[in-house]
Amino acid sequence: MEQILQVFISGIFSGGIYALVSVGLALIFGIIGLVNFAHGEFLMLSMYFAYWMYNIIGLDPYQSMLINLAIMAIIGYLTYKIVMERVLEANHSIQIILTLALSMVLQNLALMLWKADYRSIRIDMTTDTTYVGFLTLSTPRIVAFVIAIGASVLLYLFLQKTYTGAAMRAVAQNGKAAQLMGINLKRTYGLAFTIGISLVGLAGLLLSPIYPAFPLVGSNFSTLAFIVVVIGGLTSIPGSIMGGLLIGVVESFAGYFAGPAYQQAAYFLLFILVLIFKPNGLFGKS
Amino acid sequence: MINKILSRNNSVLWIIALASIIVPFFMPNRYFQDIIVMTFLWAGLACSWNLYSGYCNRLSIGHAAYLGIGAYSSTLLYINFGISPWIGMLVGGAISAVAALIIGGSTLRLKGTFFVLSTIAFAEILKVMTITSKDITEGALGVFIPYEPSFMNMIWASKIPYAFLTWIYMLVALFICVKMEKSKLGYSLIAVGENQEAAENLGVNSSRTMLIAFVMSAVLTSFGGTIYAQYIMFIEPTSVMSLMNSVNFILLAITGGMGTAFGPMVGSFILTPISNLLRGYLSSVSGLHTFVLGMILIVILLFRPDGILPQLKLFFNGLIKKSKVRKGV
Repeated sequence: MEQILQVFISGIFSGGIYALVSVGLALIFGIIGLVNFAHGEFLMLSMYFAYWMYNIIGLDPYQSMLINLAIMAIIGYLTYKIVMERVLEANHSIQIILTLALSMVLQNLALMLWKADYRSIRIDMTTDTTYVGFLTLSTPRIVAFVIAIGASVLLYLFLQKTYTGAAMRAVAQNGKAAQLMGINLKRTYGLAFTIGISLVGLAGLLLSPIYPAFPLVGSNFSTLAFIVVVIGGLTSIPGSIMGGLLIGVVESFAGYFAGPAYQQAAYFLLFILVLIFKPNGLFGKS
Repeated sequence: MINKILSRNNSVLWIIALASIIVPFFMPNRYFQDIIVMTFLWAGLACSWNLYSGYCNRLSIGHAAYLGIGAYSSTLLYINFGISPWIGMLVGGAISAVAALIIGGSTLRLKGTFFVLSTIAFAEILKVMTITSKDITEGALGVFIPYEPSFMNMIWASKIPYAFLTWIYMLVALFICVKMEKSKLGYSLIAVGENQEAAENLGVNSSRTMLIAFVMSAVLTSFGGTIYAQYIMFIEPTSVMSLMNSVNFILLAITGGMGTAFGPMVGSFILTPISNLLRGYLSSVSGLHTFVLGMILIVILLFRPDGILPQLKLFFNGLIKKSKVRKGV
């Protein structure tokens, strides 16, 4: 029983990060209608930035958080301006292939620049553990979980409570109508993409003390985020948070009971079942 | 306009396709012959992918799964029971057909992104299953095919028979695409791809049309998988069923022109040699060839989303107009 609880809690903690990765994806999909297959590659970039910040300047990931957020926001905005804005009107397939190509380019750029070595950040906190009752928890995971959920909830509040957030939701509902009401469509899209990329950047930063950075690190998280987003109902932010936690738990249990090889298979299976039987997502409105 | 041009002058492209078999005879060594074999093979594979995804405008990013089914079916039958890969190829095709029926039956009705994601998910599940069922598939270690050259074993010492085999494979895929384009199935498929509701209102049975094309595409891909395995003589789940392989189908088809019979061939004729030569000559910079392919793809998507083929056809049209007296566009 204690072990089961431990497995459950560790699933929830990984789920927090998955939620943060997915929330950015859901935002971009919900508002721009753009499926970003390169999402994980931005996570990878952010992990590398955190690594270099630590190794060259000596700032640990928590200290370099704001700089990292700013860099990722700039990268996100530039990506939107240079690449994404040109295909807003294009066919759905073209958009998907474009982001796939972007992911190829970023992955291999990283491979060319930084080689395939695993680079991990070793700060004192990396190996710290916190004891809660009989549970043993890794401290960076707790920090990551708290910040990840906090950021996701902040995003939700931003969309619900602020004017800009309301404008974004209006654009998501009906771009043309929103434009007629005086909302700048392209600027709103740009903002949504920038926020989405910043969030996945934050997730990468939080992961960096736990997980090594390497050129292909993003691809696992990309597919994972897609699954979370579909399970969460595609565009819903709370759905993505719940979906992230659920996938974390499923993965954790599959790893515990069936072995690590089956972790991926387990959530893919869950994903197919959801697609077939509840295509609007477990937490989405029908 | 574009469609009008596309429907003309397939003759020039047929000539290129048929004449391409002389190229390996002029290649100086096995390295260049190998590139030609891979070019034919990938032309056929991309053409098979195009048969469903191109015409119906619904991306499958999981076709590496059928490549894997074809490769593993024939190889395992050959290794364990000594069954000729020619028969194994048909068995693999049958297994792929059943898999495509089940997968297609449950996911083809999904819209847009959902379908795309479901194809990735199936390919990943199949890859994990192949890795974990070690007793049958040797898992992540992969399977070696012993070198025993003979026609029955689909193994040859020279590259030339492989070039013929892959060339024929490419021609078969092309022929099926060209025939389908002008058949009821083809017209229905294109109509469904452009607007499913409108096509249904006109009496097209969209789910049946899509399912037939999807199964055909899977079976053809699976045949290519068998040829791939017999040529490389080593298969391993993570390389055969990788996402990168699935993306390569799309890369070639898009570059040439998605939803056109000859587009995938043109794409493969241009990109497969570039990719192989980059890998061969600049292997010190790992990742370079994929980086270049990605950049080419981005440039094509942004500036020529219809691919190279329409441009090429305009060029051929110009040539033909010059040689003949009059031929209106």
